[in-house]
Amino acid sequence: MVKKKIAKVLAFRYKILAAILILLAGGLVLLPKYQKHEGIKPEELLSNSISPERYMTTDRLAHIIINQDPSFILIDVRDEKSFASYTLPNAINIPLEKLFDEGSDNYLNQNQYDVVLFSNDNFYADQAWILCNRLGYKHMRVLKGGINEWFTTIINPLKPADNMPATDFELYATRKAASMFFGVVYPEQVKVEAPKIVKKVAPKKVITIEKKKKAPAEGGC
Amino acid sequence: MKELEKTKRISIAAVLFILAVIIGLLTYKRPKNTYAINTKSTLEKLTSENYLVALNELNNPDYVLIDIRNQYDFDKGHLENAINVYAAEILSEDNIKVFEELKENNKTAVLYGNNPQEPNAPFLILYQLGYENIKLLAIENSYLQNKLITKNSEIEKSETDVTAFINESIKKANTAPIVKVVVAPPKKVITVEKKKKAPAEGGC
Repeated sequence: MVKKKIAKVLAFRYKILAAILILLAGGLVLLPKYQKHEGIKPEELLSNSISPERYMTTDRLAHIIINQDPSFILIDVRDEKSFASYTLPNAINIPLEKLFDEGSDNYLNQNQYDVVLFSNDNFYADQAWILCNRLGYKHMRVLKGGINEWFTTIINPLKPADNMPATDFELYATRKAASMFFGVVYPEQVKVEAPKIVKKVAPKKVITIEKKKKAPAEGGC
Repeated sequence: MKELEKTKRISIAAVLFILAVIIGLLTYKRPKNTYAINTKSTLEKLTSENYLVALNELNNPDYVLIDIRNQYDFDKGHLENAINVYAAEILSEDNIKVFEELKENNKTAVLYGNNPQEPNAPFLILYQLGYENIKLLAIENSYLQNKLITKNSEIEKSETDVTAFINESIKKANTAPIVKVVVAPPKKVITVEKKKKAPAEGGC
């Protein structure tokens, strides 16, 4: 009798095992609760976002833009209105509230380019950076000081006083040259530039003609 | 006989499997801090809710000031009744307890630093951990003769209209160049003169 009963139960043994596995698999249903826990650990995120590593100075960015470095994308996280009134050359507008909209992923989550986020100061850009960093997006930078800093250092650099060190004057010279690149015109710059343009056009033609005339004349002697 | 061996193997496998599961469950450590909301809803909340506090709103009895600067700066000078929680240690057990307690007592933690950017990261991280009772004090601290001076600071304020500045600079500069351009042509004449000189020398 007992044997018969055991045999009966044993006949279902594979089904029982399968049922156990299915039950365990059912546990996975409970996991979606942890989807909220996407991204890197909070501790890691904290240490990343406290470190000033992500910041890029305006001087460095100006250098990059002037040299037309193709490995950088500039992203403006301000609203459309500010974007329309002024932005950095070739910047793309992704307002903060649309950061995770479809399409912006192509710019943010990739390995080909370095992304530089900027806003008026670096408050919104920082927030965008922190959220992206949590998702593990790499190669993200933030423009330190944002557009306000960009204006005071690159567009309208402060002329150093006479008693300041030579490095300050060098810095001022490069910044001033950069500001000219970005469209600012200085009154004294016009004096220099106007003859320059003439020189550039005229001499080129003249020199080639001179050479031609010189060569046969000398040969004639 | 064969059947018996089969069951033996299966039971051994089953026991091992269950053991592995049990060991896995026992050793699984729940992370101390877990996010309560994902990035998308964080962003939504962040852009729709007002989390900024100005200086004159501080007399709300529900507000508890939290200074996220380091101990040295805190000792040098801080706002009245502020608690010092250094930004880098904000997720340590003791500090999380502070925020937990504030949440239970329905108080609001107001974070501040030397400028509004400083408490931004700690604020956003705690926000994502589910502490919704967190605000950010938009102030700027500076020292004058070792005395802390605090003033309101507007976040993301556009200080200057850059386009207007550039246009202005072009306008200013454009008053002069018209004269300068006129001066330029004579130089062309000079270069033409040089041409004549050159073949003459070669001819000798």
